[in-house]
Amino acid sequence: MTERPPKAETVNDLALKTGLYLHFPFCVKKCNYCAFLSFDAEGSPRKEYTEAMIKEIETRGLFFNHEREIDSVYLGGGTPSVMDVSQLSLIMKAVRKNFDIKSDAEITIEANPGTLGKTDRVTRTKLQAYRFMGVNRLSMGVQSMNNDRLHLLGRIHTAEDVIRDFRMAREAGFDNINLDLIFSVPGETTEDALKDAEAIIALGPEHISCYSLQLEEGTPFYEMADQGLITEVDDEEDRRTYHEICSLLKKSGYEHYEISNFARLADEDIGKDPDAVSPFRSIHNSGYWDMSDYMGIGLGASGFISRIRYRNTPDLNEYLTFFREHDPADIYISDIPSAEYHINSEFDMLSEKVFTGLRRREGIKYSETGLTEEEFWRVFSYGRKEAERFSEQGLLIIDKEGLRLTEKGIDISNSIMAEFV
Amino acid sequence: MSYLDNIRNFSIIAHIDHGKSTLADRLIEKTGLVEARDMKEQYLDNMDIERERGITIKLQTTRLKYKAADGQEYILNLIDTPGHVDFNYEVSRSLAACDGAVLVVDATQGVEAQTLGNVYLALDEDLEILPVLNKMDLDSARPDDARAEIEDIIGLDASEAPEISAKTGMGIDEMLEKLIEVIPHPEGDPDGKLKALIFDSYYDSYKGVIIYTRIFDGRVRRGDIIRMMNTGKNYEVTEVGYCIPGTVPADELKAGEVGYICGSIKQVADARVGDTITLASNPAEAPLKGYKKAQSMVYCGIFPAEGEKYENVKDALEKLQVNDAAFNFEPENSAALGYGFRCGFLGLLHMDVITERLAREFDLDVITTLPSVVYKVVMKDGRVLDIQNPSNLPDPTLIAHIEEPIVKADIMTPNEYVGSIMSLCQNRRGNMIHMEYLTKTRVQLHYEIPLNEVIYDFFDALKSRTRGYASLDYEFLRYQTAKLVKLDILLNREQIDALSTIVPEEEAMAKGRGICEKLKDIIPRHQFEVPIQAAIGQKIIARETVRAYRKDVLAKCYGGDITRKKKLLEKQKAGKKRMRQFGTVTVPQEAFTEVLKLDDGR
Repeated sequence: MTERPPKAETVNDLALKTGLYLHFPFCVKKCNYCAFLSFDAEGSPRKEYTEAMIKEIETRGLFFNHEREIDSVYLGGGTPSVMDVSQLSLIMKAVRKNFDIKSDAEITIEANPGTLGKTDRVTRTKLQAYRFMGVNRLSMGVQSMNNDRLHLLGRIHTAEDVIRDFRMAREAGFDNINLDLIFSVPGETTEDALKDAEAIIALGPEHISCYSLQLEEGTPFYEMADQGLITEVDDEEDRRTYHEICSLLKKSGYEHYEISNFARLADEDIGKDPDAVSPFRSIHNSGYWDMSDYMGIGLGASGFISRIRYRNTPDLNEYLTFFREHDPADIYISDIPSAEYHINSEFDMLSEKVFTGLRRREGIKYSETGLTEEEFWRVFSYGRKEAERFSEQGLLIIDKEGLRLTEKGIDISNSIMAEFV
Repeated sequence: MSYLDNIRNFSIIAHIDHGKSTLADRLIEKTGLVEARDMKEQYLDNMDIERERGITIKLQTTRLKYKAADGQEYILNLIDTPGHVDFNYEVSRSLAACDGAVLVVDATQGVEAQTLGNVYLALDEDLEILPVLNKMDLDSARPDDARAEIEDIIGLDASEAPEISAKTGMGIDEMLEKLIEVIPHPEGDPDGKLKALIFDSYYDSYKGVIIYTRIFDGRVRRGDIIRMMNTGKNYEVTEVGYCIPGTVPADELKAGEVGYICGSIKQVADARVGDTITLASNPAEAPLKGYKKAQSMVYCGIFPAEGEKYENVKDALEKLQVNDAAFNFEPENSAALGYGFRCGFLGLLHMDVITERLAREFDLDVITTLPSVVYKVVMKDGRVLDIQNPSNLPDPTLIAHIEEPIVKADIMTPNEYVGSIMSLCQNRRGNMIHMEYLTKTRVQLHYEIPLNEVIYDFFDALKSRTRGYASLDYEFLRYQTAKLVKLDILLNREQIDALSTIVPEEEAMAKGRGICEKLKDIIPRHQFEVPIQAAIGQKIIARETVRAYRKDVLAKCYGGDITRKKKLLEKQKAGKKRMRQFGTVTVPQEAFTEVLKLDDGR
């Protein structure tokens, strides 16, 4: 083998907030609305996947060369909780060995109700094991608290499972839990959705994500809608639901800090300080809207490091074969099979900053873009007239600091953001 | 024996897809001009658009050499003719350059309206017609029926019509022998005064306008000063030659021959189809008969789309005009669309071809407004105005009456579709003159229809109602008084001039409603309600509302979504660029052409 040059390809801009995302593309059963890449967990090569992922962790770790600290780790999917505890444990061990994880890092695992264990004892043990691995935040895909709707969505759990798993997570010591909620499921009214939201709020999670159901091509729902078996909730009802949920959550002490994300305020701030910021905002997810770096690891995972946006190959065989055949010491991160690889231009950086930033309660500040107010509007001169029209319509607030969406503006946020790409 | 005995000047006439171009290809191949392997499919149709649509618009002429069974070599000048009703005049001039015509009839289909139209044109020119039956390689060929139709409908003896397959080459030799026998050789006096018919011309950036001509009398060579007898302009000949195809220079062209002439002519409008060329020093007494200046029948506005430069559109239109004497344009200013051009065309197909060429050859993004015909507006003070732009219609109180162009439309169809065609024509204000059974199953319907009703989507409607079996031929007949009004469209209470149309009064309500419904589908939802109204003068006659949109948001935007989301936003922005802004309302550019394609089953 020919001598390869020493590894010069290491990160050079230090001290940036950085996250790690690990993707687990396995599910017990694919949901009817899901268009994501995932495989049936049953009979899947989870062991081989674990081995490949560890090698990817080593490869990518070498790139950082212990010169950068990690602020958050997120184990997402698919369903990470279908992995064996021993597999996750090996992976987390590799993560800690190859990356410098801050002591107070947010470490989240997605765990779907009903996937944790067949018996309470198993569930309890699994949750304990996650705690031992250092996982300090749990994200549960609840989606609904109505069993008929859960069935329609193709979920494998019931509302009773959610209540039980949530209680056990608390017992295991999880004091930072997110619950996902989906509204505008075909047939669902605003009143139904509010009942769901109330049931979720009653559990008292630190964080709630609310998503309006989108019919994605290639999903069973899309087919069903095509055949007229289900009818999409109309826009008016959908937006009514969204705004009702927003105000219910605010009333219940949650900060609406991103289009679809809510975090519980500190008890002393509830009902007092309208500007208060919740201590439970997701550090990891906030990184996506702050344009922080994140290293994506695993099949089809996306990453954004030092201005480069990449996506790993979605071909499971290619992924497993590559890491079976290569030793991390011999490869560069750019050798890892990818489906996308794009070096952001200055303008890419700027426009992404604006549209991701606008998702946040704070909106985007001129200072974050590295431009003055005047420079900013010179770059986006073509969007200014439209932006001002949005502002007159009460959809966008433009001030000396920057711009941010109003709650009404969120409804048509795409058309506002489109002025800045 | 004269050189004239060994020349045959002929055209091939056929209905659109009865195989004319394929036959031309086969002849070129057969006479050894082009090697089979070099044959581009359908050699004579050389414009992309023509090839795609399977129609011939610009003419191509080819000189073929054929060694006949009698041992002699013959020069066969194949003069191609355009295959569409919009180009009737050009067809007639091409035919005038011939001494005979090969009539191709699809043995699986029989005789069609356009075939008939062209046959009549050929008969008008006293041409000898040789019918041939094509597509004989197909199982569905019915040569006896086709023969009977030719005899019954056209009145030609088809008993000896060669049976061929242009596709496989079957029967081509027999056809050529028959052609030499049936079609007469040209006559003319090579020593007489020059009389040459222009039957086509096109602009070449090196040689200037290249004129395709048939010499009737006299001769012409390089250095001669020629005169266009109808336009009176003189030019020095820089080159003459034969089209073999392409341009191959020769010493001279003389009576009976077909070839080309160049003379540093700057635009085709100076060498008009149908004009007669003579020598300035020794002119003929009278031009050949039949010259006619091409008349625009259909007009529309062409405007630069958002982001397209006015100058670019102007340059392109000028270039197209250089090559197309039938196309004309002048500057126009629309409140809605800004600066643009009012363009005149022979017909709807001609318009489509030009707008498509703007997009394809010049890569331009233009907005085409609704087509309009030319109305004669008789004012109370006796003046008569030609109005083709609805926005220019004078105040109705000053108008005595309006006249609209009426065409004579001949529709040929299998008898089972007669009922649905009759209801179509009736809905289009057609007036049936008579109906005749050409054979037991084939009917020809003769109608008088306002041209205005034909130019929108009549072809499409006819085709869809007859599963493509009916065919149409039309020509201008006369102007006729009609009760017409200007129908205006208002978006968010603002009148959009580019959407105004002139319609019959009794149909205004239905049309207004139709346009509003159509616009409702085309105009995207805004953040506010957009009323769409149709009005005659101050009176609102129809209304629709585009509801405000409530939702345009991506709920999830995490690590893997950012790239996808960005592409989506870029697409959204690009889509918006293709829109026109009218006050606060955004309208997609296609609205201007799509709006009158009213798919209401009429």
